[in-house]
Amino acid sequence: MITVSGITKRYGRKTAVEDITFDLTSGRVTGFVGPNGAGKSTTMRAMVGLIRPDGGEVRYHGALYRSLAQPARVVGSVLDARCMHPGRTARNHLRAMAAASRVPSQRVGAVLDEVGLGAAAGQRVGGFSLGMRQRLALAGALLGEPQALLLDEPSNGLDPDGIRWLRNHLRSFADKGGTVLVSSHLIAELSIFADDLVVVGAGKLIAADSMAAITSRHETTVVVETPRPGDLARELAALGLSVEIDGTRLRVQGTTKTLVSQVAYDNGIQVFELSETVRSLEDSLIEMTRASAEYASA
Amino acid sequence: MTTTLTPVGAYTEGNQHRPATRTKTSDLKAVPAALKSEWRKVSSVRTYRAILALTAVGGFLLSGAIARFTTDQAMYIAEVGFYWTGAGAIFAAVVGVLMFTSEGQHGTLAVTLTAQPARWVIAASKAAMAAATGAVIGAVAIAAGFAGSAVAGIEMGDTSSVVAMTLWAVLYTGLSAVLGLGTGMVIRHSAAAVTGILVWGPVIEGLLPLVLPVQVARFLPFLAGSRLVGWLDDTPGAEAVALTEPQAALVFGGYALLALTIGTLLLSRREA
Repeated sequence: MITVSGITKRYGRKTAVEDITFDLTSGRVTGFVGPNGAGKSTTMRAMVGLIRPDGGEVRYHGALYRSLAQPARVVGSVLDARCMHPGRTARNHLRAMAAASRVPSQRVGAVLDEVGLGAAAGQRVGGFSLGMRQRLALAGALLGEPQALLLDEPSNGLDPDGIRWLRNHLRSFADKGGTVLVSSHLIAELSIFADDLVVVGAGKLIAADSMAAITSRHETTVVVETPRPGDLARELAALGLSVEIDGTRLRVQGTTKTLVSQVAYDNGIQVFELSETVRSLEDSLIEMTRASAEYASA
Repeated sequence: MTTTLTPVGAYTEGNQHRPATRTKTSDLKAVPAALKSEWRKVSSVRTYRAILALTAVGGFLLSGAIARFTTDQAMYIAEVGFYWTGAGAIFAAVVGVLMFTSEGQHGTLAVTLTAQPARWVIAASKAAMAAATGAVIGAVAIAAGFAGSAVAGIEMGDTSSVVAMTLWAVLYTGLSAVLGLGTGMVIRHSAAAVTGILVWGPVIEGLLPLVLPVQVARFLPFLAGSRLVGWLDDTPGAEAVALTEPQAALVFGGYALLALTIGTLLLSRREA
């Protein structure tokens, strides 16, 4: 269990994150989403002790990160895949990391093979594409065979095949009991393999829940046109549904057209048009974070 | 808002162990590993090898040229061989600077800090590696100086103090690298810190004795340090108040320790 409790960080008058609280549990992939400047990276850097929060704390099975004797055994992190000396080979980059983490250097070859960089082990990092650097950074995170992975935008620079590989890898890691927190702008991608979501906006927590719970908040909208909108709206509202009336049209949230047509039929209400729209997770999250987006499209 | 996500999967809280936490003993045990990591870093990039090569070639050529072309006084290998050590000390300081600033420049400092939360362990291992690397640069500078002057064909001269002077010289370059490391930890910017060292050492400390009393000038960092290789400021009266080698080592080592201490405090307090 990783517990993030009330993380707050201010830079002068600007509050980067405020009271961010969520838990991460074993065996699950948690997506960390939010618009640019929402505080995802700040939170993740606070989680591994790179920044000192003004309030709150992060505990790994009860222990603070800075108190861990061998952090690499507990949590592997990738916060910026560009953090490598360009003149060093992939193998030497990992050897230095392994030594610092007190991990046997034999792990270097194993993780390079695991991320598909075995053939590039002797190449200098300066010649690597961003996708190769992402793989190498992930190899570094895996060196200590950690229980948890914290990855900030790990799919940046990966080609479609690489993204699929990463998705499968993280899913497999979680299925073996590991904990994964992965931030990404690719919400559609996250929706494929994440179990839970933490949504932040303007430095504040907007939601932390299972993927199913978050998608169900904005599930389907049924549009129905009827000559008796008031009557049908009353019957639907009696079932606890949210109904908006727009002339002869009703917009009903969180239901299905089967149910709406059944209610209309049961009450003898004629229906001219009936359609159902399922909103994507991406739409839902954009709506959730719209008010807090620092940079938004017109 | 606090939401606890439902745990599923193979792991349950029951079969996870609380991770081992740091103690003073575990931090001490981490130092050799951190030192090994620093060695991996230093030995795996070309910059340091290039500086070592420059030290060797420069020392060979300079001492060879001095031995070959100085005609107004008798020159001996046992003296000329140490002439390049001052430059070696500057190179060592540059290496010390880069051992920290290149980590910041390439972002690997964050990787280092996440691997080892005990920041004093990082500072200590970097200081030890800087001292060792600086000492190697000093040894190479002396070896190159001896080789260059020997090839020029001059006589060996009095060798009675060569061993002692070599040890002082290696101490000088080793401490110089630590001074550079501390400077890099404070300034954190490669170009600024290297420029600062290059301007302060050869230029400003070359000019300050002209305006400072000799009793004060002898305590300038590199002027004090260069006493360890027998160099003496030619300002009138300087010889009378010159520091002995142990005194010079204390003064120069004090500067190195001060820079390293400030750098370590900043490393502990600053965010990466």
